[in-house]
Amino acid sequence: MSEFSVIGKRVHNIDGTEKVTGSGKYTFDVVLPNMLYGKVLRSPHPHAKILKIDTRRAKRLVGVKAVVTGKDTLGRKQGIWRRFPELCDEEILCREKVRYIGDAVAAVAAIDEDTAEEALDLIEVEYEPLPAVFDPMEAIKEDAPQIHEGVELNININRHIEWGDVDEAFEKCDHIREDKFKCSSQAHVCMETHDAVASFGHNGKLEVWTSSQSSYYIQRLYADMLDMNESDIRVHNRHTGGGFGSKFELDSAQFPAAILSQKLCQPVKIVLTREEEFTATKRRTPMYYFTKLGAKKDGTMLAKEVRVITEGGAYTAMGATALYLTGFFSSFPYKYPNYRYDGYRVYTNTAVTSAMRGFGAPQSTFVGESQIDMMAEDLGIDPVEIRRKNGMTPNYEVPGQAFIQSCGLHQCLDKIEEHINKQGKLPPNHGIGVSAYGFMSGGIFNWFNTPYAFSAAVVRINIDGKVDVYTGTCDMGQGSNTTLAMICAEELGVRLEDVRMFSGDTGICPPDLGAWGSRQTLMGGNAVKRAAAECKQQLIEFAAAKMGVNIVYDLDIKDRWVHLVDRPERGVSYFDIVKEAIRGKDGVAIMGRGHYTPHRKGMISPAYSFGVQAAEVAVDPETGRYKLVNVTTAHESGTVINPLGIEGQLEGAIMMAGGYGFCEDQPMDEGKILNPSIADYKLIRSLDMPETDILEIDTYEPEGPFGAKEAGEGLTNPTAGAIGNAVYKAVGVRIYDLPITPEKVLKALKEKEKQAKKAKK
Amino acid sequence: MINDFEHFAPKTLKEALALLAKYGDDCKVICGGQSLLILMRQGLVSPKYIVDIKGIAELSYIKDGKDGVKIGATTTHRAIEKSPVIKKKYPVLAEMENRLASIQTRNWGTIGGNVCHGDPAGDPVPVLIALNAILTVAGAKGTRNIPVENFSLDYFEVDLKDGELLTEITIPAPPPRTGTAYTKFNVIESDLATASVAASVTLGPGDGVCQDVRIALGAAAPTAVRAKKAEQVLKGKKITDALLKQAGEVAATEAEPISDIYASEEYRLELVRVLVPRMTKEALARAKKA
Amino acid sequence: MKKQLKFKVNGQPYELFVKPKTLLVEVLRDLVGLTGTKRGCNSSSCGACTVMLNGASVKSCSVLALQANGAEVVTVEGLAKGNQLSPLQKSFLDHGSYQCGFCTPGMLMSSTALLAENPKPTKLEIKEGIDGNICRCTGYNSIVRAITAVVKGEYKEAK
Repeated sequence: MSEFSVIGKRVHNIDGTEKVTGSGKYTFDVVLPNMLYGKVLRSPHPHAKILKIDTRRAKRLVGVKAVVTGKDTLGRKQGIWRRFPELCDEEILCREKVRYIGDAVAAVAAIDEDTAEEALDLIEVEYEPLPAVFDPMEAIKEDAPQIHEGVELNININRHIEWGDVDEAFEKCDHIREDKFKCSSQAHVCMETHDAVASFGHNGKLEVWTSSQSSYYIQRLYADMLDMNESDIRVHNRHTGGGFGSKFELDSAQFPAAILSQKLCQPVKIVLTREEEFTATKRRTPMYYFTKLGAKKDGTMLAKEVRVITEGGAYTAMGATALYLTGFFSSFPYKYPNYRYDGYRVYTNTAVTSAMRGFGAPQSTFVGESQIDMMAEDLGIDPVEIRRKNGMTPNYEVPGQAFIQSCGLHQCLDKIEEHINKQGKLPPNHGIGVSAYGFMSGGIFNWFNTPYAFSAAVVRINIDGKVDVYTGTCDMGQGSNTTLAMICAEELGVRLEDVRMFSGDTGICPPDLGAWGSRQTLMGGNAVKRAAAECKQQLIEFAAAKMGVNIVYDLDIKDRWVHLVDRPERGVSYFDIVKEAIRGKDGVAIMGRGHYTPHRKGMISPAYSFGVQAAEVAVDPETGRYKLVNVTTAHESGTVINPLGIEGQLEGAIMMAGGYGFCEDQPMDEGKILNPSIADYKLIRSLDMPETDILEIDTYEPEGPFGAKEAGEGLTNPTAGAIGNAVYKAVGVRIYDLPITPEKVLKALKEKEKQAKKAKK
Repeated sequence: MINDFEHFAPKTLKEALALLAKYGDDCKVICGGQSLLILMRQGLVSPKYIVDIKGIAELSYIKDGKDGVKIGATTTHRAIEKSPVIKKKYPVLAEMENRLASIQTRNWGTIGGNVCHGDPAGDPVPVLIALNAILTVAGAKGTRNIPVENFSLDYFEVDLKDGELLTEITIPAPPPRTGTAYTKFNVIESDLATASVAASVTLGPGDGVCQDVRIALGAAAPTAVRAKKAEQVLKGKKITDALLKQAGEVAATEAEPISDIYASEEYRLELVRVLVPRMTKEALARAKKA
Repeated sequence: MKKQLKFKVNGQPYELFVKPKTLLVEVLRDLVGLTGTKRGCNSSSCGACTVMLNGASVKSCSVLALQANGAEVVTVEGLAKGNQLSPLQKSFLDHGSYQCGFCTPGMLMSSTALLAENPKPTKLEIKEGIDGNICRCTGYNSIVRAITAVVKGEYKEAK
């Protein structure tokens, strides 16, 4: 019998009816009176000086209203790492130089999209191509072309994490492995591409509709770039057709649209094409991994040393965070007494690499989980057992780095072991691979340098008892509106249908850092819970006065019933108390405020979620092709607020994480992405999707609202590693670079056959 | 962005041919548009005139006869996939259609459009080659019949002269004891072929000697090709695993695949080596049951 | 030069004049004003623009508007009967078969067309039925479950 009335129930998403009737409006659908359509001109060169831009012919085309270049901007550079101005290196509309194929140089506003597109062809840009470099291993050399002035060896940033003494510890190991891996890029492929409608009024204020994960970040970055007050910019949050980490940085739909609108005082809409989405928005960070693991012969791991070089692309963006997190999560989910990580992010003349669901952890998990399986085999230990031996436990401190309160890793391992045993003997060429992960539940980093609390909410109870929640969080489909509404309803003691959410509108909602780093359930949830609690307290005060109960009794509200905790049958209707409380407060609606910023929780996250995944593959050894048969995941994310939501996040994560291992790739030639279309960029469809099973483990996280933690991002970590391990189990070959394609598998099988023949001689 | 054009929607074949004769190479034919519209949206093709033959009812049919089946060029993939006649008599055709792109594409796209597009990775042509199909092409000067294996000339280039329109595909009734099989290799189930093979085996009377065999390769050369040398390895012989393997090796010598972002040349050749024996063996099994 | 387009959308007749290059999806979204149908790609690959044309599912970005002359088109806005959602819509809600919702109209149209043609599809046929539609959020299995529930008769059509 659940102690909760709302939390844990299977409910419809509160915006569900809009989505299944097609009535929900996305930025893609926004049409304003007097609106113009914009298009962006982009560099065809990976590295070049801009000598001249002649926009005269474009301006003369009938239907064109404005053409802008970098010269029409304030020439500022921006980036998310605002605490470190040298890392804010992106102009968006380039003035002197372009640094990747797709870098924006001009934009047009016209009466329709076709005219805008035609105008692009009429803009004459004179470039002086410069030598370009595409591979970080080349870009880091002395003689490589310098991409950003003053940045030696193109090293954008480096990160170091260390505890214990790895060198000493390696001496004590019985067995050491050194391995190299290459993690590929990945495209977000949001179904709604980046888009924005920017509307400057004659009063000098800016209104923006944009598909975004953080209205506040976009608002602040606009303010930086346009030299405006934040408060003169209002960012609206319509439905967002996917984010996955791609939509909380100022992009080349948003900024040019604003510059154009500023000139014209008309709304300007820019919608990136799918090709621009692939080539000119940000992507997952490709990484070269060098990792050394040392253990005792009983499987206890003593030391791990990791070196990573990442392909940064042309600008910093969020790449610095991915660099750090990949190093941090390379130590997860195990207790390493000695650990050292050195990571370098290197600029290259390629599309910018930044944040994508998992933020460096899918890469570190693929590498770490592959290597630990190899270590297990070397030592003759069962793969689940070695993980059990070293796995994190509750109340573990990652030395000097983070404190892990709740942790259900071991229960997950047990469940997966049970699942694997149940499968019995597998058919030939089938294999099950295991992969374990841990992930943060709300990044603490404040490189954005916000003065605001990380999350804030206002709750208002109206005369009819209905509740309005105002919070800056953004729902990009992950269901945060529903989750937060459930938290509010549970805290206040009303039903989900009594709650209405206003989210992500900077004009009326208090700031929230947005949907990234898996923070909204824990941080936004805490803010909403506190705001609701403040309202509840006011109602309880009135109820106590009205009911005149003995002072020893406590009152609570559950399911619209304000009652004595010890005698629940004695109470009054919530609706009546609301009316009286408002009357008692001179007619003022009941309001509560809440906010949350993690204090003294380390610098990474206040809580971590864990899980273990088992993937079964069936390999065709003659072609190397394999099918994803089943992916079973045991995971724990504290109290489950929205079970339907979590299942959706898990299955969706498998599609994305599975794709990372199975088929998604962005091959390049001289900095040009060769497959910028959904036809050519391979995605898992319904016929390719494996059967998915979820084994929910119960845990409780003290830091989270009602004990909840994140779910959707951590689950993107394990699948590539699970697939790699499964292929090895099935046919005995290991692939060290993603994605694991049939051609690579076949090549490895043939090599193995050759080696076997040699050995026989 | 699509450049605008003048649009004609003839209701009869005669009207269509007259329009093609009038506008020559300034015009393009559209039917399902599942290939053409992609090219037009990307600005790769910009005809001044479009002759839209979607509405020509007389070109959409599946006519069964004792000599074989005749399929009108504007018959949709979906109609072929669902046709009881096709499923019964030429199941390989229905199977191939079932794996072609998506249901949406099959509902509107046509077999004629696909064949005329000339994509060597297209699904229908290798199967039609294995089935010994004949294409009928109509023009101002009359009609001509072309064996399907001669229709594709080069990448996206087919034997259609100015003013000509593909009108019909004739698939002869298979000889007794014939089986045909097709598969395409891809990573995503509904994707275009990385390499594909269609094979047809006709057994002689009695003891299982292969009387005739046809092997067609897709996505393994600038056009779909018949692997005639591989066929010779098997023709007139009793098919064994060793012979099948040999046929695969020989077929690989008749292929000239490219390397691209999906697969290297070597890998495509390896796929030919593996899929030719597999499909021939499958065709043989079907022939035995026929 | 514009040509006449006379067709029905969700049972309602429309008479429009369109440039021949206009795609069906453009007419539906920009002229008829029904923005439920989305666009997600330029290569006829994603399925977000799926509608029903004379009962068959098609990608409206890959059909010339003029080819819909005389035809009956159904979009996501035409699935509900008055204020009653269709069985599939209700099932999608119950099974959480959507997240960001951008692919959802297309998914619903593909599912509706599938069941209209074949009310008792197998699980494989259900997966085939939506294979032309990309979803980046749900992982498809919840959509398959929603369709399966309708096939099993768990939802009744509104009268």
